[in-house]
Amino acid sequence: MAVVNLQNVTYKYPLTSSLVLQDINLQIEDGEFVAIVGPNGAGKSTLCYTIAGFVPHFFKGEMTGTVEVAGIESHNSSLHEWVLNVGLAFQNPFNQISGAKYTVFEEIAFGLENIGVPRDEMLARVSEVMKLTGISDLADRSPYSLSGGQQQRVALTSILVMQPKVLVLDEPTSQMDPIGTREVFGVIRKMAEQGMTVILVEHKVEWIAQFTDRVIALKDGKILLEGPPRDVLSSLVLEENGFGISRYTSVARKATALNLWKDARLPVTLDEAAEGFAHTTAFSPKGRGE
Amino acid sequence: MHERLSFFVRRDSPIHSLNPMTKVVLAFSLVLIAFSSPWYWTPLTIFLLVIVPLTLIGKVAREYWNFFFKVILPTVLVLFIMQALFLPGESKIIFDIFGLEITELSARLAFRNATRIAVMVSSFTILLLTTHPSELMSDLTRRGLPGQFAYVIISSLQIIPQMQAKAQTIISAQRSRGLDTQSSFLRRAGSLIPLVGPLVFGSLVEVEERAIAIEARGFTSPKTKTSLHEIPDTSTDKRIRWLLAAFVLISLALRLWPS
Repeated sequence: MAVVNLQNVTYKYPLTSSLVLQDINLQIEDGEFVAIVGPNGAGKSTLCYTIAGFVPHFFKGEMTGTVEVAGIESHNSSLHEWVLNVGLAFQNPFNQISGAKYTVFEEIAFGLENIGVPRDEMLARVSEVMKLTGISDLADRSPYSLSGGQQQRVALTSILVMQPKVLVLDEPTSQMDPIGTREVFGVIRKMAEQGMTVILVEHKVEWIAQFTDRVIALKDGKILLEGPPRDVLSSLVLEENGFGISRYTSVARKATALNLWKDARLPVTLDEAAEGFAHTTAFSPKGRGE
Repeated sequence: MHERLSFFVRRDSPIHSLNPMTKVVLAFSLVLIAFSSPWYWTPLTIFLLVIVPLTLIGKVAREYWNFFFKVILPTVLVLFIMQALFLPGESKIIFDIFGLEITELSARLAFRNATRIAVMVSSFTILLLTTHPSELMSDLTRRGLPGQFAYVIISSLQIIPQMQAKAQTIISAQRSRGLDTQSSFLRRAGSLIPLVGPLVFGSLVEVEERAIAIEARGFTSPKTKTSLHEIPDTSTDKRIRWLLAAFVLISLALRLWPS
């Protein structure tokens, strides 16, 4: 059953005339790990806000169509009920720190205090989730003294601790180095494996190809393409529409023209590229001498 | 540079271990007594007999006097001089400069007002120096203060230093692009404009994002909030609060029935 269900959703922000989302139809299954890609201004963040209930509850503006998450319809509910089902973490970690707490541990407990979780359970849940995201050693630091990447982990942890059914992440690794990114993707995948539905906006195409079940390509507020990561991310349509594409895809596309790539499907990740090129004689050890 | 995010200084003192509410009541009581008492010397007496010992008991004397000489004393002095010069008071002239006169009555009134302000700022300074903001917030929320209100107060304490740090960053950035910060006053005033824009608009965007972030963490949930910290409220705390309330009542009574 689809846990996220958007039917003909069209939206524009207040005091603007352009439609940020146009006739979006999107179903996401329970436990699915979906990535949203698109150029700047494609409506990715707005789509995140819509699934997380902030459009239209927080931003107002005009929305038509229906948004349903975990069986609740957006128009018939209030935001505080909605956030119990959907967790949202977005790009700028600095602004996600509540400002009301002085240590990382307190910061992560903030959401649980708000929804009235008893103290014992709170302590257990915060410690557990901090271990999961690998920030236990930051517990007593001030959230403001952390680096951007660490703050992003704190923001992610603060949402995970609420145990939402659906997790919406808008570029959660934008300020992280490759090691941090890998660790965070590891955590997100673990959550997905445990049955959490994850919706991720991300520019790092190679990571998406490795981890997600489905990719949705968004442009000018419309869904341009959707499907399995490798098919969508290596598609020519994406390249022609100004999406960021993997360097392995562009190399293989050039190689195809030179008849050096024989596979019908183009690669997105290093492994896929290596495997594909291993099949062509020009790159095999035997062929090198000729 | 902006490491300290609030006035709070962690020390082990009897004042620190009081319940936050007791300290709030203490601060308000001192202010009420200082402002309601009709005697000229009451605020100064409170300052010497209550504020000064409190800074010592609370082990925050160094921080307090630092703040006193930097902020409180200059403010109070300016206030005293201005009020002494301009408060109307028909009595003996004790000082005369360029036709501006200080009379005995205006000097007395100015003295009383200035010391009242000193007591007010000092008592809240002590409250902030000895009370952890998040403890204050959780305690007040537990006592029925709306969460939004408590949040506004407490987050300001953290976010204002952050804004200062940001202003500093913007100034450095603009200076590195040739902003003049050292020439004449007018020119420097003019050069503030490119600083204010980014700071104000940036802050507005921040406010919106922060609102989303705390909303996503159930901030407006109608459920009764729980607290990570258990804040002890002892019988001593309660006794101190009743005692303070009694002092305030006596002081108000003396004011209303000056027989």
